[in-house]
Amino acid sequence: NMENLQQTSRNLLVCDQSSLRHRKCRLSQQVQQHHFNHQVSLLLPECGSAPPPLDAALRSFSSSYLLRKLPLHELLDTHFLQDAVYQGSVYGLSYRSRIDEDTCVALLPSGQLVLSLDKDVYERLGVEGKPSRFNQRANSRYVVTVNLTDSSMAPGGRGYQRLLTGLKSRVQLQTDFLLSHHPGGGEALKALLSRYDWTEHRPQVSSRLLTNLPCPTPLTSDLPSCDPHSFLEWLGAVEAEVSCDNESTSFLSTLVCPEPRAVLSRALRVRVSGLLLPQDVYRLIEELRRCWDGRGTASWAALTVQGFADSPVSWGSREHGFLKGGENFYSLLLCSDHSYWLCMGTGAHDGCPP
Amino acid sequence: MSVFMDLNLRPTAERSTLQSLLDTAAHLGYSAVAINYVFEPTSKKKQEIPKPTPTSELFDKLPTVQGRSRPIRVLNRLTIVASDASHFRPSAPEFRSFDLLAIHPTSEKLFHAACMTFDVDIICVTVTEKLPFFFKRAPVSGAVERGLVFELCYVPAIRDSTTRRYTIANAVCLLESCKGRNVILSSGAEKPLELRGPYDIANLGLLFGLSEGDAKEAVSSTCRSAVLHGETRKTASGTVYTKRLCTGPAHQACTDSTHQQEVTDPGSEAADEPAAKRARPAPAVTDSTAPAVTDSTAGQ
Repeated sequence: NMENLQQTSRNLLVCDQSSLRHRKCRLSQQVQQHHFNHQVSLLLPECGSAPPPLDAALRSFSSSYLLRKLPLHELLDTHFLQDAVYQGSVYGLSYRSRIDEDTCVALLPSGQLVLSLDKDVYERLGVEGKPSRFNQRANSRYVVTVNLTDSSMAPGGRGYQRLLTGLKSRVQLQTDFLLSHHPGGGEALKALLSRYDWTEHRPQVSSRLLTNLPCPTPLTSDLPSCDPHSFLEWLGAVEAEVSCDNESTSFLSTLVCPEPRAVLSRALRVRVSGLLLPQDVYRLIEELRRCWDGRGTASWAALTVQGFADSPVSWGSREHGFLKGGENFYSLLLCSDHSYWLCMGTGAHDGCPP
Repeated sequence: MSVFMDLNLRPTAERSTLQSLLDTAAHLGYSAVAINYVFEPTSKKKQEIPKPTPTSELFDKLPTVQGRSRPIRVLNRLTIVASDASHFRPSAPEFRSFDLLAIHPTSEKLFHAACMTFDVDIICVTVTEKLPFFFKRAPVSGAVERGLVFELCYVPAIRDSTTRRYTIANAVCLLESCKGRNVILSSGAEKPLELRGPYDIANLGLLFGLSEGDAKEAVSSTCRSAVLHGETRKTASGTVYTKRLCTGPAHQACTDSTHQQEVTDPGSEAADEPAAKRARPAPAVTDSTAPAVTDSTAGQ
């Protein structure tokens, strides 16, 4: 079985090619379904600074709130349900919990509460769930999915009581929790914020000017000059600031920019990180599109959105796990003619992106 | 998957080294470690089985595991290096103070006896020299059925290139017989620099012939089942256990120092180990704030 050593962990890459002008363009669904976004990175070629409307869009991502030591039964609190879950969309993710070691919790905007529990906790909680898809031999991880907007989970209902008793008395789960609400923001969450230690997190924006950047050319989405894998390798190298020169004296990296290539005199890389809402990400994409309606200096832009490595879900409610890495990301190559290339990638313990 | 564990940390005479070893283990992401006291009885003179120093005396402060909010859990383990069955008396009262019992057999006869009959949790595999015997399928399957685990240490492979060859060769030999089940990878480290992170050790498992999932289990879930197997030894097949009853403010100090996290349910986990010690349905769980003697009756 020495041949196995040459293989890397399985990963999945789904590529979609279409145009924003196309009637059946699925970009909006694909972006909105990726609920938990940790970082958005934008690469603008031949740009020294972001145009003002784009800059404004980058700086207007919603804040998120980190609650310390939140007992999970509070997510079933009636005021929280009324103000946040039933109105608009609430995004919640447990913080500093590892999906392959601990209990992880996610609250999806659809009102679904996803609990990824290890065997001991699951057996004590007493609520029905399914074994994780990525269990090896014995079932060591279970996923409990509960729809808080369902009639059986209405406060006072049987399902609600069972989960509440489980979380309050049988297994007192408590974790740091990241919360965000659209469109209400902090106001909708004040039921919980008033009772627990919290801090507000404004998404951090940082930018960096890159010079003399080799880049594959031409980058258009209808005539791809390089295949998606090579393009993503190059884009990843740019994001990670790994040199693509492949000098004979350097042993650190043998990555190369795909041929044919050109050298950009300058490019701007802007990064936003935090708990970012998909609505804000889509607004950024729309703003990028509007930039080209006015002027056409650049012919393309690349946007990469990284998900959380320890989130229980990747797209929609597809289960996400962590074997050697927890990547769930997508890269969007947007061209001036409004056509695009969307590459969605996940790792070994993941379902297929939409 | 469960939390990462390293079940073989070797204490040296210096307490500060052990403290920094523990700090490094917590920093690397191990949630539980076991301090391994090695006992090599010889027939020449009667030796005493070492007593484990209580954790509270050894360490001033238990470091928090990196990325989580719990402190690291420290267990005590005894390894008996023996070639003869007479050296091992399973009912010796000294064994009760250890959470884990391991045996390092140096002869085929003892290996067979250890796999089939001995009341231990871990069987150590020689990694520093040529295997003194071959692994036969029968005792290995017998051990797997009873819930025992086989341990491979990686620190000798770091220290020396000759032992590295032996480690890989012996590991491949073991894995041919046991098909990747019930194997744990642990360090055997004496110094902090010898420790490696759990994901790196899972990658090392690939070299030995484990699959990716099995290799990750070798540092997490399989270690957990070894620890639970150790708990069942103390608790009459995992269904009954007693706890000292304390009242008043002193009761926190009375709780067993090895049960630092919430006391888990030994009964249900005894059913984890493949076909070992079929336990009745889980007894009620107690946590450290409810001093009581639990007994096994109906499930929760």
